[in-house]
Amino acid sequence: MTPTAALIDPFTPFSVPFMGRPLLLLVALAIAAGTVGVLVNLRRLEFSTDGLTHAVFPGLVVGATLGGAAGLMPGAIGAAVVAAVVLALISRRGQPRDTAVAIVLTSFFSLGVVLVSGSGGATGSLSDFFFGRLLTITWADLGLSLALIGVAVLLVVLTARPQLYAAFDPAGARRAGLPVLVLEVVGTVAVALVVVAASASVGTLLALAVVIVPTAAARALTRSLAAAAVVAIAFGAATGWLGLWAVVQLAVLGVDVAPGATVALTMIVGYLAALAIGHLRGTSTRHSAIASSAGAAS
Amino acid sequence: MSEPVVEIADASFGYGGAPVLSGVSFEVRAGEAVALIGPNGAGKSTLLAGLLGLAQHEARVFRVPAARGEIGTLPQSSEIDPAFPVTLEQVVAMGRTPRLGLKWPGRADRRIVAEAIEAVGLTEHRGTRFGDLSGGQRQRALLARALAGEPRLLLLDEPFNGLDHGSRDALLETVRRLKAQGVALLITTHDLDLARAVCDRTLLVNGRQIAFDETGCVLTLERVEAAFASHVMEIDGHTLATTEHHAAAHGAHHHHVLQDDGAAGAEHR
Repeated sequence: MTPTAALIDPFTPFSVPFMGRPLLLLVALAIAAGTVGVLVNLRRLEFSTDGLTHAVFPGLVVGATLGGAAGLMPGAIGAAVVAAVVLALISRRGQPRDTAVAIVLTSFFSLGVVLVSGSGGATGSLSDFFFGRLLTITWADLGLSLALIGVAVLLVVLTARPQLYAAFDPAGARRAGLPVLVLEVVGTVAVALVVVAASASVGTLLALAVVIVPTAAARALTRSLAAAAVVAIAFGAATGWLGLWAVVQLAVLGVDVAPGATVALTMIVGYLAALAIGHLRGTSTRHSAIASSAGAAS
Repeated sequence: MSEPVVEIADASFGYGGAPVLSGVSFEVRAGEAVALIGPNGAGKSTLLAGLLGLAQHEARVFRVPAARGEIGTLPQSSEIDPAFPVTLEQVVAMGRTPRLGLKWPGRADRRIVAEAIEAVGLTEHRGTRFGDLSGGQRQRALLARALAGEPRLLLLDEPFNGLDHGSRDALLETVRRLKAQGVALLITTHDLDLARAVCDRTLLVNGRQIAFDETGCVLTLERVEAAFASHVMEIDGHTLATTEHHAAAHGAHHHHVLQDDGAAGAEHR
């Protein structure tokens, strides 16, 4: 293969394990985006998800301090559980949900920054935690992440129909006798599992991006719920692959970029493209509707 | 005479503290529609919440259908986000969820959903996005969702609010058909004419029970005035000011007033 052909070859870079593992993880996260991400979108839990990603941050730092790279995941799980309990306690005290999330977000995030700065760099830099260590995840990390994502997806798929009802009409679902609080807890746990699975390897920033952006892009492209789930999965997988591919191409050109951030940026570019396509499509649909109604009138 | 589906005696309803509504005794039989009438803040919603177990109650007799899905509700469609990406059919299928739990719907469930959509006359719109339906069609879609649960008791909260004449007539026809099928209905409304049109009996409340009897006997001006003291009511485009309100507003004499701001000469007694 010529150097030029190798440069634009979309598959070869992923045949080496250190590229194949991140790609596998991003595809799994795309499936999470098409299920858990859709639930987040429908229930408007974006801010809560943001709160959870920040809450996981000090857990990553503590995990790294105590156990190095192997401590990241247990640390993240511990922090997610503490954050979920604190969130529930603050909400039960009658605080609005956004207030509770804001308090958890800022307090946990500050704690994480203090821990990182206090460790004098021993636990890794801030950008490691923000953007993760996508290219250095091990098979063990990947296995644990896939297991967490699998449980999260299963929770959402099993409760999909009551979740849809509770998201569409929470008061109606309560009146119909559905266990709305239990559904809310199940949904939050699923989000937390995906956030943990993503944070330890792709960083807290990308964790938010992979849960939220694919569904937001899908909603811009399609009005159907089932289609949105499929498009979100395809979007997450395609932009994940494109982002990693861009990392490789930039490395060949001698530019060393943060892989997690590059993937996040690729998703955002894809989202903007989806918004533009959705807007153009909406405009042309409106024009054809006007043209057909004008034709019918004449 | 058919069996009562709801039987309530000497009940009070509230959310802890002083009861919102007290002294309530009524029943709703299978195939019967009962109107629940009272001014805003009278305790109508608290009563509905009490029947659903979402508000507290104390009662000598309290019998309501208890199994999941046996009570269907029709909320005011304005409570729902029209941008939510679901079709009418998906919304109606939600009505099966309380009965199905985590199970996925089978052929029989799909048939029940199709019948519920047909019952409200929206079969041709089943693939239409919920937010693209008119206000009246959304209200009928939510009624179909309630029907899909095959309820023994239907609680309709202001179902005629904001409906055009076509949707109102369609809804009235559906209520009549449900009664014929043996469904018990409890309908809150401010529209006394609609109460007269489809409701066999009326429960009139304002913090306490004013009356419960056949609709024609309950909706006398004296009783409505007792329930709606200090309120102004709209009846079919006419504004009815009760004695107390009129005296307060005009400092005038005690007589019943029907201010006609629509067609002249109509009376509703």
